[in-house]
Amino acid sequence: MGKKNYNSENQLKAWYFLLPALLAIFVFNIYPLFRAFFMSFQKGTLINPRFAGVENYQRLLSDPVFFRALKNTAFYSFTVVPIALILSLAIAWVIFEKVKYKSFFEAIFFMPYVTSTIAIGIVFRYFFNGSYGLINYLLEFFGLPRVNWLDSVSMSMPTLILFGIWTSLAFNIIILLAGFRNIEKEHYKIAKMFGANEWEIFVKITLPQLLPTLTFLLTVNLIGAFKIYTQVYALFGGQAGIAKSAMTAVFYIYDKFHVAGRPGLAMAATLVLFLLILSITFFQQLILKKVGRKR
Amino acid sequence: MKKIVTLLSLLFLTLLGIITVFPFIYMILGGLMTYREATSIPPTVIPDSFQWVNYLTVFEKAPFIQYFINTLFVSLVTTLVTVLTSLFAAFALATLEFRYKKVVMVGLISLLMIPYESIIFTNYNTIARLGLLNSYTALILPFLTSIFYIYYLTNYLKSISRSFYQAAKIDGASDMEYIKKILIPMSKPALVTVGILTFISSWNSFLWPLLVTNDKKFRLLNNGLSAFTSESGSDVHLQLAAATLTVLPIVLIYFIFRKEIIRGVAKNGIKG
Repeated sequence: MGKKNYNSENQLKAWYFLLPALLAIFVFNIYPLFRAFFMSFQKGTLINPRFAGVENYQRLLSDPVFFRALKNTAFYSFTVVPIALILSLAIAWVIFEKVKYKSFFEAIFFMPYVTSTIAIGIVFRYFFNGSYGLINYLLEFFGLPRVNWLDSVSMSMPTLILFGIWTSLAFNIIILLAGFRNIEKEHYKIAKMFGANEWEIFVKITLPQLLPTLTFLLTVNLIGAFKIYTQVYALFGGQAGIAKSAMTAVFYIYDKFHVAGRPGLAMAATLVLFLLILSITFFQQLILKKVGRKR
Repeated sequence: MKKIVTLLSLLFLTLLGIITVFPFIYMILGGLMTYREATSIPPTVIPDSFQWVNYLTVFEKAPFIQYFINTLFVSLVTTLVTVLTSLFAAFALATLEFRYKKVVMVGLISLLMIPYESIIFTNYNTIARLGLLNSYTALILPFLTSIFYIYYLTNYLKSISRSFYQAAKIDGASDMEYIKKILIPMSKPALVTVGILTFISSWNSFLWPLLVTNDKKFRLLNNGLSAFTSESGSDVHLQLAAATLTVLPIVLIYFIFRKEIIRGVAKNGIKG
């Protein structure tokens, strides 16, 4: 950057081009953030709010459903994210190393990314159906006991997790394949020259080279998983599972805001979730930096 | 040993490939079954005869054509406006020099960290107070621009040399002419990617339209579909037909623009 010569004509013009975007961003991104903070200290309805101090936060922290929502969200995130990441890594590796028609498989595995979760949720509800569902039929066929996937308190979360894994593979696979393609071919040539086998090549070359990609995916996936909502709605037909057993954080916020008419409480929950996501991202960066230094 | 690994890998890939595609195939097949076939044990794989009448029944029971038109309209407007506002903003940030440019950039990047779900409910508030609930405006207004795509396009436009802009200026071209004649043709791949991905995420949006519309007249496909699911109770064959209606247009677009979509996502890590 040399000397800056802003000419006055240029300056005004720049703002003129930025204006439509900035206006929309201000009204629908910046203002709502402050408004949410402000509203979390209010009670009453949207039309008739009253100042409530920290009452909403007190209520929130004494609501067992909120804690169940947080627990479920964390449980979902910390199972779906690693399992989906490992599965995607395996799939991407096989596509990259063993398959001739790469773009065919790429196209197949990416399909779930572009399709509506609600529509695909209908299909999964159908598959998971207790009496005529395909999955129970297959279980029985292989001599395994039938499972009450959708209408049992203890199975809601596992069913949601299975659905969650299915929906998260597509994005991971495409990003990982791009990561694989960026690895220098020379590394492989040299390793093969020294007689390294496939596993050694994978651990010593592929994995370290993929570390930035994996880090990126871990962050994006975790943030995404913490905002899980549509999958729940789709799988349990608009409910949070039987007896709210699959309640998640965003579902709780939606429920309090739109169904129960408690916007203040919903906003307090929103801010708690926001801080949680922020701190997870922060801690993850911290840990990854430490791991990176050790290597 | 190597052969066994290869064989096992291919087996694994085939199995997961089937798990990925099968729900789509069975959605289409199930939508063409009778109720009895769709709920039979053992499950029917191919229906005896394709029940196209299911689709007629779906159209009779819910205004899916209206939902379809709504979704198409909202998605197209959102896409068009988002691409334009993002392009203009990115042009200013990438090509023009002005004071506080850095501040705007840093501000935009920090806004990227905010989960959309934490502002969507307050946006509902804004829309309600403007008296816009149950309108196309409500569905479109909060999505007139995208911080992520401004950021993405700015980086893309920076790769186009500033000398093009200076040359155009010397030739007496206005900024609009420069954008139209040079910038848009040169950044076409990026704009196509942004456009398609905006369209897809708009088509698949669910929570926002659920909040701001309850009138059937303004419902989008996804919300119509989920309402239809709860209204039609146990008619799974009809639900599957309705689901097929929702998914099919996007799958078609996907297969036409597959390369652009995959390239766009792979390059930028756009998470819908």
